[in-house]
Amino acid sequence: MVAKYVVLIVLNGIVLSGITAMIEQKAWGLMAGVLISIIALDVVYFSPRRFIPGKYLVPGTIFLVFFAVFPVIYTLYISFTNYGTGNILSKPTAVTTIQLSSLEPPTATSKTYGLQVMAEGGVTGPIAFFLTDPATSTEELGLLDGLQPVDPAKVKRDADRVTGYGDYVSLNLSQANDRTVIIEAFAVPTGNGTAIRAEGFRKARELRQRLQFDSAADTMTDTVTGTVYRPKDGYFVSEAGEQLTPGWRTVIGLGNFQKVFNDPNIRDPFIRVFIWTFLFALLSVVVTFTLGLLLAMVFNSPKMKLKPMYRSLVIIPYALPSFMTALVWKGMLNDTFGVVNRYLDTLFGITVPWLSDPFWAKVSLLLVNLWLGFPYMFLICTGALQGIPTDLTEAARVDGATGAKAFRKVTFPLLLVAVSPLLISSFAFNFNNFNLVKLLTNGGPPFSGGSSAGQTDILISYTYNLAFGSARGADYGLASAISVFIFIVVAAISAISFKFTRTFEEVK
Amino acid sequence: MSVVTESDAPPIAPPPGRIIGGPGRFVRWFSDTGWRHVVALLTLAFALFPVLWVISGSFTDGNLSSQTLIPKNPTLDNYRKLLTDPGHPPYWSWFKNSMIVGVATSLLTVALAAAAAFAFSRLRFKGRRPGLLALLLIQMFPAMLAMTALYLLMLTLKNIYPAIGLGTIWGLILIYLGGALGVNTWLMKGFFDTIPIELDESAKVDGATHAEIYFKIVLPLAAPVLAVIGLLSFINTQAEYLLASIMLRGSEQKMTLAVGLNQYISQGFDSQWGPFAAGALIGAIPVVVLFLFLQRFIVSGLTAGAVKG
Repeated sequence: MVAKYVVLIVLNGIVLSGITAMIEQKAWGLMAGVLISIIALDVVYFSPRRFIPGKYLVPGTIFLVFFAVFPVIYTLYISFTNYGTGNILSKPTAVTTIQLSSLEPPTATSKTYGLQVMAEGGVTGPIAFFLTDPATSTEELGLLDGLQPVDPAKVKRDADRVTGYGDYVSLNLSQANDRTVIIEAFAVPTGNGTAIRAEGFRKARELRQRLQFDSAADTMTDTVTGTVYRPKDGYFVSEAGEQLTPGWRTVIGLGNFQKVFNDPNIRDPFIRVFIWTFLFALLSVVVTFTLGLLLAMVFNSPKMKLKPMYRSLVIIPYALPSFMTALVWKGMLNDTFGVVNRYLDTLFGITVPWLSDPFWAKVSLLLVNLWLGFPYMFLICTGALQGIPTDLTEAARVDGATGAKAFRKVTFPLLLVAVSPLLISSFAFNFNNFNLVKLLTNGGPPFSGGSSAGQTDILISYTYNLAFGSARGADYGLASAISVFIFIVVAAISAISFKFTRTFEEVK
Repeated sequence: MSVVTESDAPPIAPPPGRIIGGPGRFVRWFSDTGWRHVVALLTLAFALFPVLWVISGSFTDGNLSSQTLIPKNPTLDNYRKLLTDPGHPPYWSWFKNSMIVGVATSLLTVALAAAAAFAFSRLRFKGRRPGLLALLLIQMFPAMLAMTALYLLMLTLKNIYPAIGLGTIWGLILIYLGGALGVNTWLMKGFFDTIPIELDESAKVDGATHAEIYFKIVLPLAAPVLAVIGLLSFINTQAEYLLASIMLRGSEQKMTLAVGLNQYISQGFDSQWGPFAAGALIGAIPVVVLFLFLQRFIVSGLTAGAVKG
């Protein structure tokens, strides 16, 4: 009992410790979720003899909602946005970044400040500028989001030199030199159309921003040419179609889905990937099931000896972790060093481009998947065969059926009824068999023309490439849109599977 | 002809023997069961060759391109290199991370799922049936389908609770626990339903609380099922690659075996093959041992529909 309260109090403490950070980050959704969860836990566990089902259900439900339900909804939301490289920032941050990148060169009238470069919390922390106005000796702290007045009590000095301010430590010249690139790009917006940028490490200048943001009209204006840029789909765009970068993340409606259907650079690979995903899943089930069933029939002889030994050895491929065996096969099928090609070369004088040719890469995937999956099919077919009453086949024989006919008309249909739910779930599993595709072929070989999909990519590995794999940057919006397609297919497969197993009707 | 047809036919009651002794006996034996052993041996060759190859690779002194099935100069160098050489990857960190992720995920999965299953099996409350159906629907969609959303969620979490955010194995465990309810709850509920309710009722008459019924009656009786589900979820976490790779990108020390070994071998199949083979074998041992131990549960209806990853 005491332990329960200790755990609860610790949890409450952990949650509260994050509140300020959540407010700072404006993570309102997360904050709501976390607060609701902790309140639910407190209410349920601090009221004895009430909410009894809640005591058993709430903890698991919190995980379910946070890491299973919410991600699905959030994926749907992201699929309607342009979130990705180039549109990572929120709009206010993008506005600041655009303006800061438009600073004009210094003029004779540009105001100069004395500069001490600082970093928060240690020399590798976020950069800040400690600025001194030489005319008035006013000191200010310059951060990415603007100027802050300085509390003189917190300034640490050594003779004339400022050595630190609160959590900020001063960088000496060599420390600053190590971070030149960041310091040169650093600029402090002043809020009146100018920003302060370093000139060397000891001096800073207040420079005019060429692009000015009008928050009332929500437009960006070039003060030199007079061009007005208006927001469109997460970018400021001029009449002539010129775009300012970076953009910001925003809801763009069905844009990602339209791309999948209309943009030939995305539609063509998508259609190929879509077809191959179905083909791969279907063929994987067919070949593993065929081999598994044949083996089960061969082994289903009462007179045969050593069956237990064969069985425990045959399932070894299935027992090994698939990430490991996929990599082992990748080594064995290696075009130049691989043992398969070395043996083929010695025996028949041929080599096969297993992983580098589009056709053979697909064959390789199916071959390795056959190796990974036939033991499972063998096991379930053995079980199903043993479950078929022998008097049925005997009756068929008495009625004059040959062995083959009795199998076709009696054994096989009964077996299929028993294993079809497993075949469906095997199809669903292979439909998303990321491990094998990623680790064996990595989706390759690539399509010509530098597409983001490879010849053997399936939908889930294509999604992964779009979000995490591509050298050209992440496209979370499009990746989520592809995820939505997978959701739809998986839902359809599950609907079929429920129809087979009638699980819904059994819920008591 | 007749002999061939018989051997092709599906196995049924053996026909009465007619030929006794001599070479005929071997022909009969072969047509009846002997050829089955030939098929079995061919299958074993297919099934076991890659396994033998990786075992031999781990003892081979040299590269993938020069490896033979029987190592010419068997050596333990690969193991030594991988495990102790300072220039080599943090293999033990990966192994340790995989174990932590596996053990923590399976223990917490069992705890969360068993509690929920108890509520669904023993308690009557509003929303019970919809809750069960909702679980069934949610578990259709594997977490990896929502990878972008999970990544962005953990990215946000990292700035607020760094210990469980992106780049930590604890964050990965949290994600795995999102799937703790779902199919596990269904399996356990099915088993709890078979524990006679009379046991609960007599305990209640004796004054037991719901917690006492749960901890002292239901859980001990369900211990074997809990163990099986825990071990299965351990096995599943060991092979999980997608979420582990996006969660633990970048920091080599924090990777799991699946992510680390893939990164290691991708640097060069030929040259890294030996140490990789050694590492893969060591990493596979816990999973294979558990798997063989659990074989009959995995094959039986308990996991019907669940396909190992």
